[in-house]
Amino acid sequence: MEGALELLTRSGLLSLSAEELGRQLLVERSDLRVILVRPADVPAYVDHGAADLGIVGKDILWESPGSHYELVDLGFGDCRLVLAVPESSSFDGPDTWPPMMRIATKYPRTATAWFEARGQAVEVVRLHGSVELAPLVGLVDGIVDLTATGRTLRENGLRIASVLGSSTARLIANQASLKTRTAAVQSVVSSLREAAGGDR
Amino acid sequence: MRRWGYRHVITPLVESMDVLDLGLGVDQRRRLFKFTDLRGEVVALVGERTVPVARLVAGKLRAAALPLRLCYAGPVVSTDEGRFHHRRETYQVGAELIGASGPVADAEVIALAARCMEATGIRRYQIDVGHAEFFHGIMDAVRLPDDVKGAVRSALVARDFVGLESLLEGTPLKSAEHELLLRFPALRGGPEILEAAGALVRNRRSEAALTELSRVRELLVGHGIGDVVILDLGAIRDFDYYTGVIFEGYGPDFGQPVAQGGRYDGLLAKFGRAAPATGFVVQLDLVSEMLTRAPRPPALPRIDAAVAWTGSGLNTALRLGSTLRLFGMRAIVDTQSRGPAEAKAWWRALGATNLIHCRGEADVSWSSDGQRTRTLPPEQVAARLAGGLS
Repeated sequence: MEGALELLTRSGLLSLSAEELGRQLLVERSDLRVILVRPADVPAYVDHGAADLGIVGKDILWESPGSHYELVDLGFGDCRLVLAVPESSSFDGPDTWPPMMRIATKYPRTATAWFEARGQAVEVVRLHGSVELAPLVGLVDGIVDLTATGRTLRENGLRIASVLGSSTARLIANQASLKTRTAAVQSVVSSLREAAGGDR
Repeated sequence: MRRWGYRHVITPLVESMDVLDLGLGVDQRRRLFKFTDLRGEVVALVGERTVPVARLVAGKLRAAALPLRLCYAGPVVSTDEGRFHHRRETYQVGAELIGASGPVADAEVIALAARCMEATGIRRYQIDVGHAEFFHGIMDAVRLPDDVKGAVRSALVARDFVGLESLLEGTPLKSAEHELLLRFPALRGGPEILEAAGALVRNRRSEAALTELSRVRELLVGHGIGDVVILDLGAIRDFDYYTGVIFEGYGPDFGQPVAQGGRYDGLLAKFGRAAPATGFVVQLDLVSEMLTRAPRPPALPRIDAAVAWTGSGLNTALRLGSTLRLFGMRAIVDTQSRGPAEAKAWWRALGATNLIHCRGEADVSWSSDGQRTRTLPPEQVAARLAGGLS
């Protein structure tokens, strides 16, 4: 959220503090209405047209592709989606994987597609939090999770075996908003694109 | 649609998979509800009705001269693929003009779609008109290795412009077409956009598409809907299916198109009767959702007359009911005998404009909103009501 608010300030669209938005969830200012929702819910608001534009991590978009337009890589919120296994594990590249891999993740769709593309049979256990624990107690062979620095993984005795993809924050737009409110939406898009350092 | 000479056809809700396989893409096939019938044949509930109509035209109607103008209405079903609330069943009204090619036919179908949207009660709407060949031409002309081309196409269809940009950045060759692809969502506007795009493209297919779009736009002005038409060269649709002019209809403040259509000249040949074709659907369930959420949702039409009776008034009531309906009014004749006070209560509950109470063969009273009750000869009732309504 900080990254998004900083970008909004830098773009000159509006300046808003995290406390203020966190307290109110919905702020209206200078012709803009800003809403705060959980990251995973951003595509829902945008795809259904409740929001014209959304700022959300690419990791969420992998997991829930929809009818929105993905317009700009905003550059902040760097992180990687990785396959992490216990330090002691012998798993490394695909050659070392077992016939049936068990993994825990908050990203079942992305993880399944990635393993399937590599011809690996996989059983995905969908968890909602503290995914790092799952391999330590023997629930799964490894986890697919998001990491920025890898510290949490190391602290839990896990190491990165493969990187599934890198993610940054993206600007997404509702398909109808782009077409029916072109001028207003495009002007916000170009302000944000400029602030994000895009050259187009 | 009847007024445009489109004949109503009824196609089955359950179709053989063999038929649907011929006409549908892989993704569409995957989304069908499939099951087997008693003979073990795989059948499916239709997910759209253009393919069944195409089969009809190539089959039962094969002797009918082209062009054929057909329309249909009905539910279509698809499995839940979305993450959110996603409709399994939608109600579609559609029309197909089969056997006619060229801008005049394209414009006719777009204008008909516009009038259908109006008929549903949408007051403000917009129709975006694009052309599939514009995209095909660019993809032909853009200088990229085949695998990158495939990836570019997928990124565009997924509307992932960040992915598209990084794909194109990685290639050494730059052309006007690169720039066009990156600006795809912004390639929209009035006739000036055609000139702007014309200056950038250097391939026959895209140029031909621009010429055709320009003609279609002129014709739509002729149809009287020039002011709702926006040209959208960056329209992203199913490019394997559509072969020419494509369009989408948007209502106010609604996050998705409520109507869509376009030219699909390749489909009929798959059923053995090659013919150019164009058509559209309006998603009535989306329209109704949009209208009921509007600031002034449409009300149900009012009943014009509540016809009550006691004793021997029933015959008069039945006769009056028929007469009023002949005049085009909505009339309800009561199913039970009621006295004056009860009849008034029944009238209020119905919310009808007028109460006609038949107390005998020739004894009729008429009450109306804001007027005192009057006694009338039965033969005058229809005329008085019709006069009051006009």
